[in-house]
Amino acid sequence: MRTRFMRKGVYVALMLAFALVAAACGGGTNETTTSTAATGGTETTTTTTAAPGASTTTTTEPAGMPGEGVKVGMAYDIGGRGDKSFNDSAAAGLDRAKEEFGIEVQELEPTAGGENREENLRLLAEGGFDPIFAIGFAFAEGVDRVAQDFPDTTFAIVDSVVEQPNVLSLVFAEHEGSALVGAAAALKSQTGTIGFIGGVNIGLINKFEAGYRFGAEYVKPDIEILSTYLTEPPDFSGFNDPAKGKEAALAMFEQGADVVYHAAGGSGTGLFQAAKEFTEQGGSKVWGIGVDSDQYNTVDPELRDYVMTSMLKRVDVAVYTTIKNFVEEVPQDPITVFDVKADGVGYSTSGGFVDDIVPQLEELKQKIIDGMVTVPDTLE
Amino acid sequence: MTDMRTEIETSSAPAWAANRWMRLAALIIGGVLLLAVVQSVSDTSELTTSGTWAAALRLSVPIMLAGLGGMFSERSGIVNIGLEGMMIAGTWFGAWAGWSYGPWQGVLLGVAGGAVFGLIHAIATVTFAVDHIVSGVAINILAAGSMRFLSVVTYTPESGGGATQSPGIKSQIATFDVPVISDFFNWLEAKRIFFVSDASGIIAGLTSNLSWLTVIGLAIVPLSWWVLWRTAWGLRLRSCGENPYAAESLGVPVLRMKYYGVVISGALAGLGGAYLVVVQAGIYREGMTAGRGFLGLAAMIFGNWNPVGTMVGSTLFGYADALRLRQNEAVHALLLAVAIVLVLLAVWSAIRRRYTPAIFEGIFGVLFFTWYITTDSVPSQVVAATPYLVTLLVLAIATQRLRMPAADGLRYRKGEAV
Repeated sequence: MRTRFMRKGVYVALMLAFALVAAACGGGTNETTTSTAATGGTETTTTTTAAPGASTTTTTEPAGMPGEGVKVGMAYDIGGRGDKSFNDSAAAGLDRAKEEFGIEVQELEPTAGGENREENLRLLAEGGFDPIFAIGFAFAEGVDRVAQDFPDTTFAIVDSVVEQPNVLSLVFAEHEGSALVGAAAALKSQTGTIGFIGGVNIGLINKFEAGYRFGAEYVKPDIEILSTYLTEPPDFSGFNDPAKGKEAALAMFEQGADVVYHAAGGSGTGLFQAAKEFTEQGGSKVWGIGVDSDQYNTVDPELRDYVMTSMLKRVDVAVYTTIKNFVEEVPQDPITVFDVKADGVGYSTSGGFVDDIVPQLEELKQKIIDGMVTVPDTLE
Repeated sequence: MTDMRTEIETSSAPAWAANRWMRLAALIIGGVLLLAVVQSVSDTSELTTSGTWAAALRLSVPIMLAGLGGMFSERSGIVNIGLEGMMIAGTWFGAWAGWSYGPWQGVLLGVAGGAVFGLIHAIATVTFAVDHIVSGVAINILAAGSMRFLSVVTYTPESGGGATQSPGIKSQIATFDVPVISDFFNWLEAKRIFFVSDASGIIAGLTSNLSWLTVIGLAIVPLSWWVLWRTAWGLRLRSCGENPYAAESLGVPVLRMKYYGVVISGALAGLGGAYLVVVQAGIYREGMTAGRGFLGLAAMIFGNWNPVGTMVGSTLFGYADALRLRQNEAVHALLLAVAIVLVLLAVWSAIRRRYTPAIFEGIFGVLFFTWYITTDSVPSQVVAATPYLVTLLVLAIATQRLRMPAADGLRYRKGEAV
């Protein structure tokens, strides 16, 4: 009797463990269970003891520069430096600011599950860093709490709005940038069908789709647009599942799309893989469109020919500008929107695949800047 | 003693197997017919296309390999929820060797990486009698953390990799079309004949553009069945999972057999991880296993700790995933299929005078049918949950017939028999 009970317990525990790991994979919002916290603790030790040089670096530049005495703290999201995307973009802005202003810098990155995001913010705040950057929407709750505990420190959060007097919210008009690449996709499509792959079906990613649809339909009203999301929240694995990204992209190519845009983070390489595979296996030439950074430069060299353009989200501009204003003591708005006008979003031309349509894209861009065209940021 | 039993099983096999193969064939034909009917009634087109089934195959192989791994371990009496971690090791080592040397080396090293974590699990659970769940969870955490560490020390920015991803692997494993069959059924699929084209689509999907690694993965299903049920070694392994003390009294080296089971388990999970990298993604990305190891466990339970059942279970997951990724509306059509199956089951149960299950199945059948009729689509959140809902349904209906190895998950110490 007892053994039977125990073995049932085994499977109950199994399900619990699944929930635990699913939460860890998701990483986004889950900070409630004690077991997850324990997981975080273990991994922290691994990262910090194993690779101190890689995860934390403190550097001081020579004296005499305008930023002397300014200590900037940077809390990356999962992936940190070297993620070839979001975090690397933030790092680029930080590096530029460090070079120009000679600020002191401390960088931290969370565990693979992201459980210690808030802890990292707190460490930086206790270390006297000011301002402190939180890179990613997943930091929202953490910033909200830590900012209240350290009212004299300035925090800056990317991709989310936190309403506290000492928090600067840096958000992007992803829908405007997506509209530009949507227009590019529609103009370049031979088949009249294009596709969109979202990582996770959440508001932030819907914004990309809304803009993309708008831009495509703006230049070609009869364009057909396929759309797929890889996972549903709270399962955030859709941002890191290139296998699913590839299958979704292959499906779209087989269904007649010849340009597909992704807003799926790490799953996006699957899109370019699929484009290469489909093209090489006798299909017509198909394209992928990258996101966040100029993916022409970050994908494997053999995939470059399939990156038509990328929707650029200039996290580096946001970080650099904010530090610059801080150093020069320019007051900043609590919420700054980095849109097309502020060069916060845009499209890339690496590879020269969209050179022929740049005039049309610039025209749309100008209309958005002038306010003649308003891009929707939600799906209807 | 063991030889005798094997002999008896073998001699009684043909009649029994023929019956089972007949049933299997009937089930498959019935299933295809069902899909064909549902497809023609609703406005979907992706239920039986070759594209969907090719994708379903690719998506289910890693889950299946993890499930088969779990089966080896649990048949030897060790619960293995560390499959996810072993799979993670498989993805990392697969990608590293795939990038450094080539795809096949990636496969080999992925298998080895998984096996190493299997060995850790075996040392903990078999030698030191650590609780299987505790050790499994630890393996999952350890694997995730140490792969991150390896990425940080291995990949420099110049290599094209980073802390969370590897550079792309050198080349893909070659793919091939099964000669004649693939062409013929692709041709037949395009004819759009009811049922014939549906069946052809499925066959074409499963025979076109196959990776050699897919073939190897599929071959492991009959191979593991043969090893576990047709060899003395397999009987010994299973006896350790059913009654280790009886096995011990007959001279079976129980501890060693458990080691074999768990290490093979890790190797297969590692192969699943390597497949994910080498055939599908072409890159390692942190978190890319996305719970597939746990899905493998679910597929194994679904399949009653049998290789063929495990394959069917993982196909279910893979097919649902493929449908969802290809055409959201197709999942709505699946509601109709589920309704029809439930009603048929209810009729079957009623004929066999099992009235309580018949009533339940009937009620659920009607509910699903109403749901199908009254809605145009399934909310995307529910779509994502479809495979799990189906699994729950199957488990609820089939639960009487599932039986885990009797001594699975129990601590065994040599010579402790009472």
